[in-house]
Amino acid sequence: MMRRDVFQGIADPTRRAILGMIASESLNVNSVSEHFDVTRAAIYKHLKILTECGLVKMKQEGRERFCEAKLDKLDEVTQWVEQYRKQWNQRLDNLEDYLATLQSKNKEDGTK
Amino acid sequence: MAQNEIGIKPAGKQLVITRVFNAPRATVFKMWTEGEHLKNWWGPAGFDLNIKQLDLKAGGIFHYSMGSNGMEMWGQFIYVEIVPPEKLVFINTFSDEDGNITPSPFMPGWPLEVINTVTFEEEEGKTTVTIKGNPHNATEEEYKVFESAIASLQQGFGGTFDRLDEYLVSLSL
Repeated sequence: MMRRDVFQGIADPTRRAILGMIASESLNVNSVSEHFDVTRAAIYKHLKILTECGLVKMKQEGRERFCEAKLDKLDEVTQWVEQYRKQWNQRLDNLEDYLATLQSKNKEDGTK
Repeated sequence: MAQNEIGIKPAGKQLVITRVFNAPRATVFKMWTEGEHLKNWWGPAGFDLNIKQLDLKAGGIFHYSMGSNGMEMWGQFIYVEIVPPEKLVFINTFSDEDGNITPSPFMPGWPLEVINTVTFEEEEGKTTVTIKGNPHNATEEEYKVFESAIASLQQGFGGTFDRLDEYLVSLSL
């Protein structure tokens, strides 16, 4: 399931940090692993998971392997957030209108 | 350490929406809890809201359908906490006619259940409504991703998420 993959990808703080690092520019594996206190093997493992999730693409350039962030999939998350916000704002607009209608009715009736 | 420089925020974030209504909170609370009022605003514009059940108590259910042009959607609240006129906590889900939870027709695959905490604060005759939303009954991974997404938004993955910042505030735990 695609969504689970994305979840797994960014559920780990080190993987999020890796994504943060390579979000704006691709870096080679050495540069990535230098930034962390864990072993290079551990970084490879994280990169492997990120690749499997489709959040990172590895590219061989000469003798170096570069990591490129593929953040499109994270759009699922932002879309949901957008949807949630939009729905609520529409609802609250409705409520505002409805309240205004009630209040003007009450005024006409002289009940309030 | 670079890890700290990147600034992973601690967990405990959620979505927050606020709105000020020009009415006392007892009135606003009624709008949120009485069927005759809910049906006038809860559904999307252009949809008729029909209430199948509204049982306002902890563990009680508000079960409704929303219809427009032959299209019909069902949804429900499961009330968790009711403190008139201050606070309302409910789990909101899409459902079928029998009250079984179903995926959102708009965002299939996203959290099936959302728990909303709504608070009502009155000042000088105006009521501030604050809605805080979190996935409910999500897997640990789903929950983490929700928080991660918010943390990521704050870090700004290349600015993609900047525009969403305004909707997100941290929850003080």
